[in-house]
Amino acid sequence: MAHPRDGRGLTRRQLLARGGVAAAALSTTGLVAGCENTTEPVGSVGGGLSGEAAKLVVQKPLGPGGLPLPRPDNAVTWAITAENRPIKEGRPPERGPLRLYNYADYIDPGLVKRFQKQYGTSVQIATYNSADEAIAKLAAGAVAFDVIVGLTGSNIVNLIAQRLLQPLNHAYLPNLARNVWPELQDPFYDRGSRYTVPYVVWNDGIGWRNDKVAEDIAGMDVPWDVFWHSQAYRGRVGVLDDKRDALSMPIQRDAMRTGIRPDLNTEDKAVVDAAERELAQLAGICNVKVTITDYQTLPEAKTVLHHSWSGDLLSAAFYYLPKGVKADVLSFWAPDANGVVQNDFLCIGRNARSPVLAHRFLDFVLDEKNAYSNFVNFTGYTPPQKAIDAEALIKQGLIPRTLTAAVVRPDQFAANQELLQLSVQGERLWDDAWSRFKAG
Amino acid sequence: MSGRWTWRLLSLPGVGWLSVFFLVAFYAVLCVAFGNQDTLSQPVPFWNPLDWNVGYVLDVLRNIWHGGQYLTVLLRTLAFVAIAMALALLVGYPVAYFTARHAGRFRGLVLLGLIVPFWINYLMRMLAWINLLSPDGWGTRVLHDLGIERLFLWLGLLSTRGGWLDGQEATVVIALVYGYIPFLILPLYAALDRIDQRQIEAARDLGASPLSAFLRVTLPLSMPGILAGSVLVALPMFGDYYTPDLVSASTRTNMIGNQIDEFTRQGSEKVTGAVLTLLLALILLALMFYYLRSTRRAAAEHAA
Repeated sequence: MAHPRDGRGLTRRQLLARGGVAAAALSTTGLVAGCENTTEPVGSVGGGLSGEAAKLVVQKPLGPGGLPLPRPDNAVTWAITAENRPIKEGRPPERGPLRLYNYADYIDPGLVKRFQKQYGTSVQIATYNSADEAIAKLAAGAVAFDVIVGLTGSNIVNLIAQRLLQPLNHAYLPNLARNVWPELQDPFYDRGSRYTVPYVVWNDGIGWRNDKVAEDIAGMDVPWDVFWHSQAYRGRVGVLDDKRDALSMPIQRDAMRTGIRPDLNTEDKAVVDAAERELAQLAGICNVKVTITDYQTLPEAKTVLHHSWSGDLLSAAFYYLPKGVKADVLSFWAPDANGVVQNDFLCIGRNARSPVLAHRFLDFVLDEKNAYSNFVNFTGYTPPQKAIDAEALIKQGLIPRTLTAAVVRPDQFAANQELLQLSVQGERLWDDAWSRFKAG
Repeated sequence: MSGRWTWRLLSLPGVGWLSVFFLVAFYAVLCVAFGNQDTLSQPVPFWNPLDWNVGYVLDVLRNIWHGGQYLTVLLRTLAFVAIAMALALLVGYPVAYFTARHAGRFRGLVLLGLIVPFWINYLMRMLAWINLLSPDGWGTRVLHDLGIERLFLWLGLLSTRGGWLDGQEATVVIALVYGYIPFLILPLYAALDRIDQRQIEAARDLGASPLSAFLRVTLPLSMPGILAGSVLVALPMFGDYYTPDLVSASTRTNMIGNQIDEFTRQGSEKVTGAVLTLLLALILLALMFYYLRSTRRAAAEHAA
């Protein structure tokens, strides 16, 4: 569920120590009295329908504050309230500076420079390492950010529940309707794009070195099986260091074998525990590594087979190839259906000081040329733009044919699933399983 | 103003600093561990000890009692730290001994050599090792040429040739030793340097062999240094999580610090993260207590 940028503090690119003590994560949500012996969260709400009426519908999981958790079959329209209305049309942009809150190295500095020039303003970028950190800082309200980049449909319930966003005025965002995939102009997590516009999309798949791995992975009946037959690559095999992505992998594998559509947002303990047991087998089979540094280790052949985010393979091809290694030694496969796809978004902070400029920035990023250059010059993550297509990129020689699958297609996006926020109990279920797996 | 008051005043900033950044922070961790979480999975600390909720602490203790994952990582952490500490002593003692006794006019240079690694960030040093120990790295080649690789393969501490970074316990332990050994050598050096040379000479004059003089005079007298050094390396090793992350990343080498990191960085179990932090603090406290008691006893014996 976490974003590919989550926890990237520990890379060569950044070299930041992750000082992780619980004290830093303190929230002061208030005192609750009563010495007790419970792990039932404070303020849990029954929520939803009750009594006889509840029997007439399939109950949907509820999130923080009893708000609905968005699902493709439970799309949510967030209300625009009287005290938090979008800005009026036709206002001139403010002078700035534009305060941008983003993952580190997650937007092309050249793009930011061009925006500064075009609007005669300056952009101040502050960075975060994880969505949790970002939301905690936004909620603390110490800095009024204008634009927030990189949060996902999993975070939106928190953002809305804590009233951290301001609604958008689409009059300032013509590029949304003009350029963006129709599917993401009206996403289930934010019907009508009232608070967000999409930034990039990615999917989960298998990245491998086709000069080191003999198997025809893309040609296998169940390509995920390759991990359970990877004895020959012991010590050079990795899975993503993310509980939701990693534990979803064996669930997808089982579903693919039996031909059933999996629920990757399940809160069924039996399913999650079984996934953990299957994943734990990999420790014996290939002494599996749990990392998110595949974008470095695959091109350097320190790993040869990795459960990967699509964007990582493209960054690997764009930036991380050692001298003498050609991009076409990297391969990527991802399922057409029933796998994991994700997208993140751009949004505007509730207390933005330059809201008009912020809208201009959103539209600027959604511009076809700008989105394209941000993709191929910097992030490696596909913007959901109608004009971008893998064939064209291959013809231009930007990416090798072996990485075609790393450019996410709209049909693939529609047939796969997003990993979304679960109920508190559901999150704990996955966290517990993950902690068991990580303990080896 | 008397001298006593001057010193009291001068110590105020330090005491204030420690109170704010240690005691308050520690109390906060305590209140999170004995608190609860809200429906956003964020911790809700219970500041009043009378309100404390033991649910999460019991959960962790139950897990350990039933041989769950926390016991696994705790035992692994204890084993890694114990072996790393023993290795560090084995390697560090002769270095400290040499520096204190035989380095002569090169003593300054040797000490400088010991301190220089501190100038480079710990992460940078570990990242350098990743390149050195990669299958075609220089370090791997040297280990191969010296026959060390073969020894490790024979002992079963390495599963494939050149596979130092393939998630090996041995690599993690060696990296821990490398990372923290200067903390052990320096106090040990200080202790050895303080030993009165005449006591050793007296032992030799009275007929003790060099070995017996070492075992009966030097070693006991350097005990405070051994203890101080061991505690100094054990404390950070216990909480380390980036070393296994960087040189292994296998689930089989994860330590208690990795679990804490996992829980506190993201996800819904920040309270459990705080409980594990507390558990670790208790272990370290026991270690500290043992150290203080031993040094006090040694000081008392010395005085007597």
